[in-house]
Amino acid sequence: MTLKTLLKASSAFVLLSAAAANAQATHPETGETLAEVQTFTYRVLDEHSSVDPQVVEDVTGSDIVRDLFEGLMNQNAAGELVPGVATGFEMSEDGLNYTFTLRDNARWSNGDPVLASDFVYAWKRAVDPELASEYAWFMELMSIENAAAIIAGEMDKEELGVAAPDDSTFVVTLSQPLPYFAQMTTHSTTFPVHPATVEEFGSEWTRPENIVSNGAYVLREHVPQERLVRVRNENYWDNENTIIDEVTSLVINDVNQSLTRYLAGELDRTETPPGQFPRLAQEYPDQAVSIPRLCSYYYNFNLSEGGPEALQDVRVRQALSLAVNRDVIVNNVLASGQTAAYNFTPVRTADFELPDIPAASMSQEERNAMAVELITEAGYGIGGEPLSIELLYNTDEAHRNVAVAMSQMWQQTLGIQTTLANQEWQTFLQTRGNQNFEMARGAWCGDYNEASTFLDLVTTNSGYNDAKYSNAEVDQLMADAKTAEDPQPNYTRVEQIIAEEMPIIPIYHYADGYMFNPELKGWPVDNVEQNWYSRELYKVAGE
Amino acid sequence: MFNFVLKRLAIAIPTILILIVLSFMLMFAAPGGPFNSERPLPPQVLANLEARYGLDQPYWKQMSDYVVNVVTRFDFGPSFQYRDRTVTDVIMQGFPVTLTYGFWSFVVAVIVGVSLGVVAAIKHNTWLDYVAVGISVGAQVLPNFVMAPILVLVFTLWLGWLPGGGWQGGQWQYLILPVIALSTSYMASIARITRSSMLEVLNAGFIRTARAKGLPTWRIILGHALKPAMLPVLSYLGPAFVLMITGSVVIDVYFSTGGIGQFFVNSAFSRDYAVIMGITILVGVLTILFNLVVDVLYAWIDPKIRY
Repeated sequence: MTLKTLLKASSAFVLLSAAAANAQATHPETGETLAEVQTFTYRVLDEHSSVDPQVVEDVTGSDIVRDLFEGLMNQNAAGELVPGVATGFEMSEDGLNYTFTLRDNARWSNGDPVLASDFVYAWKRAVDPELASEYAWFMELMSIENAAAIIAGEMDKEELGVAAPDDSTFVVTLSQPLPYFAQMTTHSTTFPVHPATVEEFGSEWTRPENIVSNGAYVLREHVPQERLVRVRNENYWDNENTIIDEVTSLVINDVNQSLTRYLAGELDRTETPPGQFPRLAQEYPDQAVSIPRLCSYYYNFNLSEGGPEALQDVRVRQALSLAVNRDVIVNNVLASGQTAAYNFTPVRTADFELPDIPAASMSQEERNAMAVELITEAGYGIGGEPLSIELLYNTDEAHRNVAVAMSQMWQQTLGIQTTLANQEWQTFLQTRGNQNFEMARGAWCGDYNEASTFLDLVTTNSGYNDAKYSNAEVDQLMADAKTAEDPQPNYTRVEQIIAEEMPIIPIYHYADGYMFNPELKGWPVDNVEQNWYSRELYKVAGE
Repeated sequence: MFNFVLKRLAIAIPTILILIVLSFMLMFAAPGGPFNSERPLPPQVLANLEARYGLDQPYWKQMSDYVVNVVTRFDFGPSFQYRDRTVTDVIMQGFPVTLTYGFWSFVVAVIVGVSLGVVAAIKHNTWLDYVAVGISVGAQVLPNFVMAPILVLVFTLWLGWLPGGGWQGGQWQYLILPVIALSTSYMASIARITRSSMLEVLNAGFIRTARAKGLPTWRIILGHALKPAMLPVLSYLGPAFVLMITGSVVIDVYFSTGGIGQFFVNSAFSRDYAVIMGITILVGVLTILFNLVVDVLYAWIDPKIRY
């Protein structure tokens, strides 16, 4: 055989085997031809806090933890509850007991079976004052019996309302019925850990050389501030249906740099730089995607005793809110798919019905006319007492643009002077938390997909109520909603009260602009919490 | 000389202590804390966290515990932000990265900068001089936060020759762009300092004597002129070297190298007190050390200097 024929023969063989591999590799459900290399590389803004399920506190970290670990329940692409390690659960009639049945083929990455006692261990760990998890509050929010007392150090962690009567049954006892309890088990704080590994390595158990996990992926490499690589977990119970073999997250602080590297083919997903989404969507219509988020952007009025006198007048607050042209802010200032907000809870929140809020259905001219009327009535604005307001926000280009737009709208429509003040994040939090502001930016993302995660903020005792708004009716409505069979009427009423009394100005509901590799499929665009799992993604072969 | 070095090292100890005390005071004066977030923690959770990290102690106690731990056990404490790592881990991971690209940037900056400066001085007021000065002025006015994105645009997106970021254990492809971006402005300064100091030396009497002896130009330059001309360059190089190897935030941020500069800035924003202190001490010690090295080199270069 001459060299030439050898080359021919071998290249024919390569072609044939490639064809054979391709012929096999189709997606089991859609039948699309899969790409040969199944990797997913994406940009993260910052280094994650931890990959320890009970310690992780940021979105970036939670995304990784959802790949490495699996909790009782998962979410599907629409955000609905689907089985995870548990095949299902039963709720007692009084709504105080949940019994989860665990699947018998769930395995840790070292081959050990995933036991109900692993969940018991993890949940007790989450409330353990010794671990001092920043997400201990989440367990308290889940209303698990004795969680609050254990966190406060008044009770031993062994008293937590969780039990494992046998290896495949996990029972939770609540202190009060909680309609959305099962939804909360998709959160990373509730994921199991491998007790023997945690005990052996202590705080170093999450390092690649030590970690034992039960998710679809295992941690292979972690270079802080640079990259984290996870690869398929051969022991995962549903490993045969996992398509992506390797997932890499790269820390890229600068979003413009990230976009350049995406365009150079180094990444499969990146956020888009502020203001660039419209251009990118036009240039790359198959790649630019706007994903709505369960988050609200708003401004707090300082309603505490030290707050400015003018802002105690509800007519002034109404006028300020009405004069903000939200359409200009979402379509011209931000322009990556955000939606104008006239109420607090994002409309996509599960089971939430948008209440009837008059301002929402008016035209901006009508709103402006009404705003002028109200401010004149209150004795401020053009011809009235001069009014100057300071807007406080944390240093960020996008926040500044919104504040500038708002101050111009107020100046033009109401004749109100505005000064802008920006502060570095930590300083801002302290200033706002101490009510040393007139109006301050606020943003809130739902902890779970239910309206109370938003509306609890305006209750008197909420730690996040920076406006220091207090209304006994709101407090009562929200307290009743916790146990009501149908809490929606309560939420509707609370939203209406907010619209009437205006302790905060809702500005917009979030959406994030992304670029996605067109070959990457399976992204759960409709999951408003953006709880995505790499095992559901796949890459199709390019043409 | 030996006594001088000893004396300097003895002065270094109180200097570092003052550095620690001042840094601690500034840190505690900054509003916020490591566990503040948009979502204020329930008081009990916050109390548990502060107890865990000793932040519930009075300031003086935190400071003295810290100094004792550092001095007796070389223990810089755990990072508040990254729960599974200690400050020593953070430094051990980030510092070699910064040291690597910082060292190569230093080498490039010195070789290119000194060469440009010498050429410009020898060919004073010729086109070569103008080109060299042009390059160094150009490099000086292009700060690295402008250089970095341009380099990535050209070499990654347009030409596709080099990766746009990452480190991969320091493979050469990943080194080139950070080194170019970091070294240019230092190179420009070195070139300018070398040029002016070289010009001065070339007009000195002993160079005229050397010329009169009939020595070839290259011997005059290398054998007689370069060493004295390096004195001002050297005083610039000491602090520049420390700056380069302790990390440029811009380089770390744009090239995602995982270097120490990024940790430093992030820890300041997130009030990760332990990491702030650890890196401050590292930078402080290196500054003191390399200033000492420069002083010793001074004595070697200039026989007039005696300690």
